[in-house]
Amino acid sequence: MEANQLKKISTELTISESKNREWLTFLIIMGVFLILAPILSVHRITDFMIFCIFALSFDLLYGYMGRLSFGHLLYLGTGAYCAGLFLKYINPHPLLAILIGIASATVLAMILGFVIVRTTGACFALMNLAFNHIGFFLVLSPLRTITNGEDGFGISTVPESFLDFGSRPIMFAFTLFCLLFVFYLLRKLTSAPYGVLIRSIKEDENRVRFLGYNTFIYKWITFVIAAAIAGLAGTLTALNYNFVNPNVMDVHSNVGVVFACLIGGAGNLYGALAGGIIYMIISNFLPIYIQRWEMFLGISLLIITFRFRKGVWGYIQSQFAFLNKKKMLISPVPEEGSK
Amino acid sequence: MTYTLIYGLTIGAILYFISIGLSLTFGTMRVINFAHTLTYTIGVYALITLLAALRGYFTAAAFLAILVVVPISYVIERFVIRRLYGESLDYTFIATFAISLIGVDTIKWIWGVNPYPLSDPIGKYITFLDMSFPVYRVIIFSIAILLFLVLNIFFKRSIVGKIVVAALEDKDGVRCLGVNVDRYFSFVFILGSALAALGGVLYAPISSVHPYMGLSILLLSFAVIIVGGMGNLKGTFYSAFALGMVMAITARYWSQGAETMVFIVMAITLIFRPIDV
Repeated sequence: MEANQLKKISTELTISESKNREWLTFLIIMGVFLILAPILSVHRITDFMIFCIFALSFDLLYGYMGRLSFGHLLYLGTGAYCAGLFLKYINPHPLLAILIGIASATVLAMILGFVIVRTTGACFALMNLAFNHIGFFLVLSPLRTITNGEDGFGISTVPESFLDFGSRPIMFAFTLFCLLFVFYLLRKLTSAPYGVLIRSIKEDENRVRFLGYNTFIYKWITFVIAAAIAGLAGTLTALNYNFVNPNVMDVHSNVGVVFACLIGGAGNLYGALAGGIIYMIISNFLPIYIQRWEMFLGISLLIITFRFRKGVWGYIQSQFAFLNKKKMLISPVPEEGSK
Repeated sequence: MTYTLIYGLTIGAILYFISIGLSLTFGTMRVINFAHTLTYTIGVYALITLLAALRGYFTAAAFLAILVVVPISYVIERFVIRRLYGESLDYTFIATFAISLIGVDTIKWIWGVNPYPLSDPIGKYITFLDMSFPVYRVIIFSIAILLFLVLNIFFKRSIVGKIVVAALEDKDGVRCLGVNVDRYFSFVFILGSALAALGGVLYAPISSVHPYMGLSILLLSFAVIIVGGMGNLKGTFYSAFALGMVMAITARYWSQGAETMVFIVMAITLIFRPIDV
């Protein structure tokens, strides 16, 4: 019994993998996108990677902390709009705009987080939905004079030494770098004691509180981190299209990222990556062949919820369970919850 | 100001029709039903087809449209919602959202994406103290009041209603008494869906008809049940009319802000009285 539990913990945590293995993972992720790029056009793949960044941030919130948000696009939209407006009105330097975009999403999440994080379950999802709706409305109507309402606005950037975001390959390389960085960061975070803690909050928040942790702070921090990464994804979207319009934070598009997370397997960073790619392929190419692609999306969501909870990555893991066993032999069981 | 009042009461009545089912479904089954307003949309589209078939007899067409919704909602309940009992709320969210995606796409398939025009089926105005308002809006409001009274009697007097109310309080307790709760839940679900269809059928002539019409009103009725308390029938009634008035008054001064104001009210409610679900 105990051995089983330990095994479970060690396979889930993947804490102490050798450095070589880490590099191998990065190389594989890079390889996948580099192979896909010439097949599906560089611009599209950049879009895929941005969505993967967004899916990773959503996975931190939903998969790891167990809080389903139906308004995570608010932070992506905030990032995109703030970066875009900064580029348009103040300063055309893209790197500065990226920082501004991330900072704005972070600050917004810091403020809203105080209220939102107190709730759980359906309430959490609906609160996010409500705030997303308000944000969507704000850019659409009261801020029309600067955001240009439904039509959106174009942005132009000046090249910053070698970083010319107008050129597709450089945009691609930069996004890939961002994706790997976010992936690295989230992997470090989720395998640290902090990651164990937020997963424990998902399982049973009261027990974590009884252990003496201030769960509110941890939930708030997770919320803010997820929002900051979503803000990064937003600025990259703005830079990739050189254009910002209210669609970036359309309330109804939130289902996409939920779907991506579930199909890949929630609570797993590889799952989020796989889900992001699969969702983008489905939403980009399926409408060309099947007119009723929303129905396809709905039916596959139903199948996932009833039969296929672990998603694609969970399936792969269960098929290749021997890989995990090997890992178990290499890695000593980590001390759980140590601070 | 009187127009604002009439407008607010109409919106409130429609919100009441739609939210009552949502509130009941949540209160009894602990399922947040994203597909709830799917039946609302289906009701409206059935009305359009039936109006053409019946050459404009609105009452008959409306009645039949509501009947059309019953088997559809039974299928949804039997094959999806019933499997979600006791599941975590996330999965019920996602599964019911999937149903609404499938439903909306089916509607687009059958009726197309273009909006349909529908006109006020009565088209008369009553004049009262030098002001004239459409009779239709008054009728909607009266139906809402009537429905509230009927539902009140139903839930207080009839045995089915009593079982449902008891199940809202304590589902397991009712089951222990030997009552097959699932059958009553299925009934409650169909009742709620039919009421949503009623709301749709009544609201369609004074709003626009398009496949996504359900989603925006769904968000509003979520706000209603959160403000009124989930599974609280009386609270739903009051909050529906209160939010209807909020919408009407906001729309009077700032027309685009009406829906957003509802969400602000909802957010404030949640801040001061969070629901632990």
